[in-house]
Amino acid sequence: MRETVMEELQADLRRAVTTGDQPLAIDATGRVVAQGGDLLAAVEQGLSAGMAVVGEEFERGERFLPELISAAETFSVAMAVLEPEIEKAGGSLKRSGVALVGTVAGDVHSIGKDIFAMLLKVRGFEVHDLGVDVSMGDFVEKADELGADMIGMSALLTTTLPSQREVIDTLCELGVREKYVVMVGGGPVFQPWAEQIGADGYADTAEEGAELAVRLVAEKRAITSPRVASDCESGE
Amino acid sequence: MISFLEVIDRAMTGRYCKEQDFAMKALVPKLAEVVDKYGIGYERDTPVPSDDDLADRVFEAGFELYRDVGLYCPDSQRVMRFTEQELLQALKDAPSQTILGEGKEERTLRPRRPDSDMPPWCWLGALGATVSTEELYSSIMEAYATCLPLADSITAPSLASFSGRAVRTGTPLEVIAAMRVTGLGKDALRRGNRPGLPIMNSIATAGSDVAKIAGSSYGLTTRDTWVVGHIAEFKVGYQRLNEIAWVIGTGGGLIAECAPILGGYCGGPEGVAVANAAYLISGIIAMHADALLTFPIHFNLGCTTARETIWAKSVSVQAMTRNSHLPVFVDHYAAHGPMTEMFFYENAADVISSVVSGGHITATGSAKGTHVDHFTPMEPRFSGEVAHGSAGMTREEANQVVGRLLARYENALAQASAGQTYEECWDIRRKQPNPEYVALYEAVSKDLVDLGVRLA
Repeated sequence: MRETVMEELQADLRRAVTTGDQPLAIDATGRVVAQGGDLLAAVEQGLSAGMAVVGEEFERGERFLPELISAAETFSVAMAVLEPEIEKAGGSLKRSGVALVGTVAGDVHSIGKDIFAMLLKVRGFEVHDLGVDVSMGDFVEKADELGADMIGMSALLTTTLPSQREVIDTLCELGVREKYVVMVGGGPVFQPWAEQIGADGYADTAEEGAELAVRLVAEKRAITSPRVASDCESGE
Repeated sequence: MISFLEVIDRAMTGRYCKEQDFAMKALVPKLAEVVDKYGIGYERDTPVPSDDDLADRVFEAGFELYRDVGLYCPDSQRVMRFTEQELLQALKDAPSQTILGEGKEERTLRPRRPDSDMPPWCWLGALGATVSTEELYSSIMEAYATCLPLADSITAPSLASFSGRAVRTGTPLEVIAAMRVTGLGKDALRRGNRPGLPIMNSIATAGSDVAKIAGSSYGLTTRDTWVVGHIAEFKVGYQRLNEIAWVIGTGGGLIAECAPILGGYCGGPEGVAVANAAYLISGIIAMHADALLTFPIHFNLGCTTARETIWAKSVSVQAMTRNSHLPVFVDHYAAHGPMTEMFFYENAADVISSVVSGGHITATGSAKGTHVDHFTPMEPRFSGEVAHGSAGMTREEANQVVGRLLARYENALAQASAGQTYEECWDIRRKQPNPEYVALYEAVSKDLVDLGVRLA
């Protein structure tokens, strides 16, 4: 494929994501595949680049949650076509990791968690959103089932904060705490609480949290030695 | 107005819809449509608008939004819808006055209008922010009774722990805590010689229906009120409907709460304003409320004092109070905390814009209401003084004053300080602020008066 044609297709893919135009995404993706274009470049220079634009505009207050969701849905539609083709060609995508997010038991607030989930998608995570009022058991079992790299727990009420601790304590009890980066967030969550319960990460805003998730998961993957058992005990 | 039984029927038998589809396929496109159709435009340089036509268009847009979208019940995954005729009838039948408090504290809550010189109802206290222990809970509730002369009612804190145990929603610890705080709160008001002062946010410690109902039987009366909240955006589950059923059954007063989120599904300030107006209608018909309590909040900043949320609040409260006779309360959450200069600028701008728009006030959330023990009686006392001082101020004048206040604080919101705790800046034994806090208050007050703020 000629370079200018590929650049035009990448621009179409970027535009499809930034405007939430799913028909355009499907059309441009089909043309990339049909014309034997560079599939990885279509993802990185087209779709992912579009997601990055939307994420940056959200952070500047120029875009809002519906547009983040719309961009992520468009991204997913295109990826459903491109990903099998990439695998067929023997390639592989760079992913930030697999993230499991949810609002803890007893708490039904969702918007902060929704935004965090979308910003993780923007940054290349495969995100599984368990929703609200998620039990300890669901967090622990789904993380194992999905092979999660990161568990993100949101809480908006002070009286639901103990549920964040319960999940971490249970991971420790089961001896699997070292498998995951655990992040906590929400209105009443601050760094001292995160440290007290043995979470790996906390940030003031969803944007900072998503950035931190990328870094922590990358660091975890780079470190081959397992966490020491005393990490669990330090949460007390 | 349709009965509450009819509301329950619709929660159980309305149209099936996935939760995300309700948000993304029903709410978001309809909200964009009505913002455009009614020409709702955010005016950055006019934080407190005084355009009656704009306010009325916001109300019409909110009405159409709610008529066409309805309210989602996540437990049944069904959408409660109401016809135009039912909504109009509900607006007509909405209560316009409620008697609250007992003895010397008995007051009648009535609606206000934009530019009204009627003093706003001052519902003062903690806004449900969390206090760490029972001892501090009792102490601060007594201090509210003795140090808030302008309080018409109290908003109590939430309790984080008792008997060395963290309170946890959905467990028996929450039920016990809810029962304890009711007694503690009423006893504290008695000690403060204001036993009849109503507690209107029953029960902040209780996140679940069972805890709220259990705790209520430990001393609350029908002269207190219960707050029942929508979940953002336009959702209400069975637990909240259970609470409404109980409050209606006991003859108590009910406050419908909403907090449209700027940056969330409502989008920017225009969408938040329209959604807020729609919540008023939802409070009347779906919750059978005696008043609305609203606080459009900024997603990233976590406060109500951002320029965009002040505009959205102001225009939508004007929309509500010009087009309905349901009393409207506004919550106020400052980003800065106690013993900070910036708190006073933030809170003054927020309260003034609420009062001139026709609202009553609920105050005060300091340090975003999220830091444990970061509140004292000083902040709600200040809010009450600003609120009473602002009654009779015109929206045009308020716009100028709020503009000057915003210039002082808005660049500091992102890095707001949580300030000091109750124990750090309040003399618990003497029931008064520390001299340093008094000195700060006096210095800032002088500057505020120079900026055009009126203090009662």
